[in-house]
Amino acid sequence: MIIDPISIALITLGGVLIGLGVHFIPVGGAPAAMAQATGVGTGTVQLAAGAGLTGLISAGFMYNFLATAPGGFGTSDFILVLASGAVGAMIMITVTMFIGQLVYVYCVGVPPVSAKVDKDPITGDRQDIYVSQGTEGHGVPTVSFVSGTIGGLFGGVGGSMVYVQLMQIGNAPADPAIVALAGIFATGVFYVNAVLASYNIGGTIEGFHDPKFKRVPKAIISCLIASLLCAIIAVPIMGGVS
Amino acid sequence: MIDPITGLGLVALMGALATIAGAAEDLESDVGSQSNPNSQVQLAAQMDFPHRIFNKAISGEPPAYGLWCATGATVASVLLAQNMSVIFAIAIGSLAGAILLGLFSVTAHMGRTASQKRFKQPVYMDMVIGHVPSIMAHGFIAVFCIVSFSYIMFEILGHPFPLPLLAFLWGITAGAIGSSTGDVHYGAEREFQNQPFGSGLNAAQSGNIVRKAESGLRNGMDNVWACAKFGGPVTGLALGWTVFFDNWRSTVFSGMNAVIAGLIIVLILILANRLVEVKARKAYGPYKDEEGGAEPA
Amino acid sequence: MSAVEGGPASGGLPPNTIIAIGVIGGLAGIYLTMLNQTFDTKIFSVMGGIGSIFAVVWGADAVRRVCSYGLGTGVPSIGMVALGMGVVAAIFGLIIPETGILPIPTILGPVISFIVAALIGLVIGVMSNKILKMNIPIMEKSMIEIAGAGSLVLMGLSASIAGSFAFNDAILPGVVSTGYIAIVFIGGAMTILHPFNANLGPDETQYRTLYVAIEKAALIMVIAGFASLTVIDAVSAAVTMLVGLLIFLVYFNKFMKSVHREAYKVVGTGLLPSAEELE
Repeated sequence: MIIDPISIALITLGGVLIGLGVHFIPVGGAPAAMAQATGVGTGTVQLAAGAGLTGLISAGFMYNFLATAPGGFGTSDFILVLASGAVGAMIMITVTMFIGQLVYVYCVGVPPVSAKVDKDPITGDRQDIYVSQGTEGHGVPTVSFVSGTIGGLFGGVGGSMVYVQLMQIGNAPADPAIVALAGIFATGVFYVNAVLASYNIGGTIEGFHDPKFKRVPKAIISCLIASLLCAIIAVPIMGGVS
Repeated sequence: MIDPITGLGLVALMGALATIAGAAEDLESDVGSQSNPNSQVQLAAQMDFPHRIFNKAISGEPPAYGLWCATGATVASVLLAQNMSVIFAIAIGSLAGAILLGLFSVTAHMGRTASQKRFKQPVYMDMVIGHVPSIMAHGFIAVFCIVSFSYIMFEILGHPFPLPLLAFLWGITAGAIGSSTGDVHYGAEREFQNQPFGSGLNAAQSGNIVRKAESGLRNGMDNVWACAKFGGPVTGLALGWTVFFDNWRSTVFSGMNAVIAGLIIVLILILANRLVEVKARKAYGPYKDEEGGAEPA
Repeated sequence: MSAVEGGPASGGLPPNTIIAIGVIGGLAGIYLTMLNQTFDTKIFSVMGGIGSIFAVVWGADAVRRVCSYGLGTGVPSIGMVALGMGVVAAIFGLIIPETGILPIPTILGPVISFIVAALIGLVIGVMSNKILKMNIPIMEKSMIEIAGAGSLVLMGLSASIAGSFAFNDAILPGVVSTGYIAIVFIGGAMTILHPFNANLGPDETQYRTLYVAIEKAALIMVIAGFASLTVIDAVSAAVTMLVGLLIFLVYFNKFMKSVHREAYKVVGTGLLPSAEELE
């Protein structure tokens, strides 16, 4: 079977999860690097890719371990690989946000604060009076931190799902050609979705409490179409590699 | 499978290599001013603040480090296929990556400066000659360490991805971490030491970067000297933690336990972040009084 | 940025000329690697690398045109999306004739890749404007160009490493299994995104940007040549590396000359411009 609808659906879902994950990751773009905006001081695509691809490395490791073990690759293994990818991405993003926070607090001397809400929805802390003059917040307040962790979760699951599904179609877990092909494809699909999602939020977002988060449906539709297209193309390739 | 004790030792070694790589990566981007803080260096000339800071706008750090590390690993794996010794192969590969970094730095700095003709920003050739070797040296250390721990992961721990792909992915992660953590020290503090400490950069002051050093005019060397005290080491810590925790949990535990161990690490970090947040709010206090009026005395 | 707020980039070679150079040069380079089979050698692998330089010039120019409008996010992401689309499309096009699902001769592979890349680019471009409401007038056209250029760069470099664009026989064992696909992927992306990023500013000029594109593409060609040492014979690899190095030197010189000509001034060392000078 060359065009397998379930594989296509799962790869598409993986792509949509990547796009969704990007919306959760708190990035302030260039202004955040000057403590001028809330979030991590880098670009959306770059941080999402850093987290998602760390997840891909973890998932690749786990998949290799499970799929080459005797007994084959079952549904529970599938979940385990996704969980492994998710945790890999979550570790990367939480470590990055935490260390970033240390720099904001102990090096720049600013308290973490969001400028988009008056009270932190999770801790209930007053926010607006902690915003220094002429800035739009700084650091990574708890709500953004939790949001970022969720973003890592989605990004990691999405990237791993694309990878695992491609490997399943390739059906040769130990073949380096299949592994590399699935790996580079997953990277390609990751970038396409992350960039689309990043265009949707205009490059910066504080997390799920940010008003920009309401634009999520548009990104989901775009990522759905783009990932579907990639999946329809990728599935016959993995099936056709001899 | 290798025995767990050796496995843990290797994971620790990888963590150590990653720590050095992260620190070198961040310091390299401070010598040359790359990534987001560079927007202020770019803006400075436009706001009538010509400067002697290296304007290294190669691209974002993640794709850039993806390229240097992929180059290093590609050259290394070609040499390994010719039966060269591992350390030599990785060292020569990293040298190739560092040379590429140097050549990209030259075009980025000179191209950007030439494109600022109307703001009268001169190209200082002594800066190109002085900064590029330092950029390459830092880059060499970063690439060497990243390719080395990728090699350990690939060859000894048995990761299925081929070496160039693995190094490329770790390069992207290293770049993402470097531009998210240590660069803030350079962008929010070192570039703006002429502003009062303890607040973000007021948007009205954008582009007004510090251009004078303790003696003479400030350049990238002065910046890396300051950032090596905090930004660089913590970036190293971030990459080291990422590599170490991620591999530690899958070496010590297996299956679902590894996932749970990972989740516990994440949870601890969320709580630690909360502690730091509370501490910072208490120590620094609000910028305005409770009613949102003027700044309290 | 020539116009941060938006507006078309101007000057130099018209877009259509560059598109023609990129498409014809890129495809010709990839197809000329077939001379390897005709003459039973690997020496013509160098043509793949040269083809990739043409494609990079096109891609860098397309990035230059679209990034003159504010994208809301940096220049780098558009280069990464180019190769993200390009890698999926390129491999699809090369492999589909070999699977025998559709009755297509193998020789059409690169053309199919190119068309599929353009198709993905079109869909992404249309979505960016229609669903994400980016409202960049040339988004659709630029995305088609960037994806097309991305796929050509990828195929050109892969063919120069493997000595042929036959997927299962040459590229899969030579470029994918070895992991060299990573350097092809990121090298292609960086050569497309770096030239405009490196020259960004109000006094950017098209030919200086394109000099950087050619020079950086030649550098990646040198690395591709080095990688091909383990895939094809040493003489052919050396030819690819030497030609790449030569092109690099020529265009790096041109770039340096244009900087010396166009910068406000190039000085050995000196103080900052004085207040009177800045008036």
